[in-house]
Amino acid sequence: MVTADKLDELQLEPEVPELDLSWLNLDTEWGVSAEPGRKGLTLQQINKTLYGDIPATSEDSSARPRGAAPPEGATPRMTPWVLGDATETFSDSAGLLYDEAVSRQWSSATDIPWDTLDELPEDIERAMAQLCTSLTEVEFIAGDVPGKWLPRIAADHFESGLFLMSQVMDEARHTDVFRKRALANGGGLLLQGGGGGLRQILEAEDFTQMSSMLHILGEGFVQSLFRLGELIAHNEAEKRIFRLAAQDESRHVAFGVTHLKYTLDNEPDKAEEVHWTLDMFENTIVDPDQANPGLAGALIYLLGDGDVDEGWRLFWHVRRKQVLEYLHRLDVAGLGGRLESGRLHSALVGALDEN
Amino acid sequence: MPENDVVAAAKERLEESGLPSDWLDTPVHWGVKAKEQATPENGGLRFEYLNVDVYGEVPEYWENNTEIPRGAIPDTRTEQMGYSIFNKSEVWSDLCAGLYEDAIADRWNSSADIPWDTLAPIGSDLERAVCQIATLMSEYGWTKAQTTGRWLQEISYGYIEVKLFLGTVVFDGARLYEVWRKRALANGGGLGRGGRNWKFLPLTQSYTFSEFCVASIMHDAMLIGLLRRGEQLAQTDAERTIYELCQKDIERHLAYFVDHMRYLMLREPVRREEVHRYLNKAEWYLAKDGDDTLYSALAVIMGDGREGAEEAMADVAELRREQVETYLGYLRQCHLGDRDDRLNEELRKWAGIMPAEEVEKIPV
Repeated sequence: MVTADKLDELQLEPEVPELDLSWLNLDTEWGVSAEPGRKGLTLQQINKTLYGDIPATSEDSSARPRGAAPPEGATPRMTPWVLGDATETFSDSAGLLYDEAVSRQWSSATDIPWDTLDELPEDIERAMAQLCTSLTEVEFIAGDVPGKWLPRIAADHFESGLFLMSQVMDEARHTDVFRKRALANGGGLLLQGGGGGLRQILEAEDFTQMSSMLHILGEGFVQSLFRLGELIAHNEAEKRIFRLAAQDESRHVAFGVTHLKYTLDNEPDKAEEVHWTLDMFENTIVDPDQANPGLAGALIYLLGDGDVDEGWRLFWHVRRKQVLEYLHRLDVAGLGGRLESGRLHSALVGALDEN
Repeated sequence: MPENDVVAAAKERLEESGLPSDWLDTPVHWGVKAKEQATPENGGLRFEYLNVDVYGEVPEYWENNTEIPRGAIPDTRTEQMGYSIFNKSEVWSDLCAGLYEDAIADRWNSSADIPWDTLAPIGSDLERAVCQIATLMSEYGWTKAQTTGRWLQEISYGYIEVKLFLGTVVFDGARLYEVWRKRALANGGGLGRGGRNWKFLPLTQSYTFSEFCVASIMHDAMLIGLLRRGEQLAQTDAERTIYELCQKDIERHLAYFVDHMRYLMLREPVRREEVHRYLNKAEWYLAKDGDDTLYSALAVIMGDGREGAEEAMADVAELRREQVETYLGYLRQCHLGDRDDRLNEELRKWAGIMPAEEVEKIPV
């Protein structure tokens, strides 16, 4: 044991760092004064200068912010590889969508009127608990996927990185809110789904392929469903959950669509690769063996409020809307013609039949 | 009609229609009403309140490699999803659920919550110094978000609370990145020089979550030591607000990392030496990085310009000493107080601690 009087002996003057003022004379763009706009100082505002120029390719795997001067001396490779071509990860809307995500954050604890959850008949409560079990499961994977891709995004294309970071947060909240709903009103967690294509999204090794599956088809279908949440909900709490979650999903879908458009505008040859991906993923999501046995039944039961025939009718209404909106999104992204060329999976074509 | 008859009738209708109905009578833990705790005084329906009955049983070892929600009935057809962390001790902290909700309750928006209109011309040297610091802050925010995000795909639903909290760390990292970028580009300046990034390798290279955690403690502690000086360093209310908000975020992160490492040290004391090795590595890279632009920029601010920078270096040295002390203080909270004696020699100089070999010569 060191005695108290010896402790002072251990304390020396801290070493003084070396003063290096070379950074006062850098050759970076100077004199930038971004002005706050109507929504404050957004990324759009600060991207009006040269700092907003997006390089088509980046070989920088470091964390250096776009436009900063490189450091002096040797620097390490931060990650094994980054996706340096903007066509691989970029979206012209990523910055805007990130800004919107930040301004539209919500709290599942306080922004849902949980006190409006009245006791429901046991069949309806079970159906809602089953739907929420499936949804918390799906959203769990939807958060893993952007996390996986973050280290591969070049800092020069930071807008896409920031968007994916906001998506991680959104998906955490979705995972949480559906678990909360399942456990809030006398129900519980019921049957796990059966995969339903989640594995394909996780295992994709190409960002655009992943985004086409996750953002455009997967989250697109979920968004169409959530926007019809009024048909499923039995109280204001559930309506609010679907409304707020749909708002988040809209941003994710918009990122996928604008990323695909950016890619195809700059690299049209990639279209066939994306078609292949969608061929595979459509096939998976309509495959009865992949189907989530609880999800379809619970959804139909809720749509019909216990009337299964009515539930089926509304289910096909939802499915038709999902497919139409999916095709529209592909059109906007520059990948139109899947229906006309006979490429859309026959089960999805069938959903377009109004009868 | 009694409830069980309602369910039986529902089952019959579904089966007639060719729909699966197992979910209607699957044996579940029924009757959980978490909403009953959701009062405004309690902060609404916080995630902690869900942890009742089997749903709150966090297993020591989670056996399922799919995305199955904790407490749900498994579907054995589901493919494995490639998670790699199945031990509670590897990731757990009892604080996670609360910190997750706190992060959401404390949410802020760099576009609208910073009083950008308080920025005013501060002179070229000071502006360059602020922008140099902003550049390095952005780098760390980016690295924090990227490296934290990478661990999400490793952690299974058994420890959902941890994953939810880490999601907020990713988002906070994004905001740390962009709020400082905005500061650099909002007041007649621009970005400065990037850092060398060697110090971040223990974060990017970490093979185990424990390694990532202790490297995060080191970086976050160094950062919090700086952010706590915000009142002295800020030139305007805008910067003061940025320092305060970032400090709050980083304190949440430290609360988790520290509580988790304390949990690990108590549950698996055999891992102590292994953890020291991770700390050896993290400290070595930090010391070896040798990037003095941060401290030089701080000297320009504390010296009110380049002319006063040389004199201000003593104050900067004191700040750096505080950073190392802060770091060691967090390690003590993790039951890693023996780090005091094993601290990297360069960091000992930063903190004004006598070299280890000299300490050993002092008679006891």
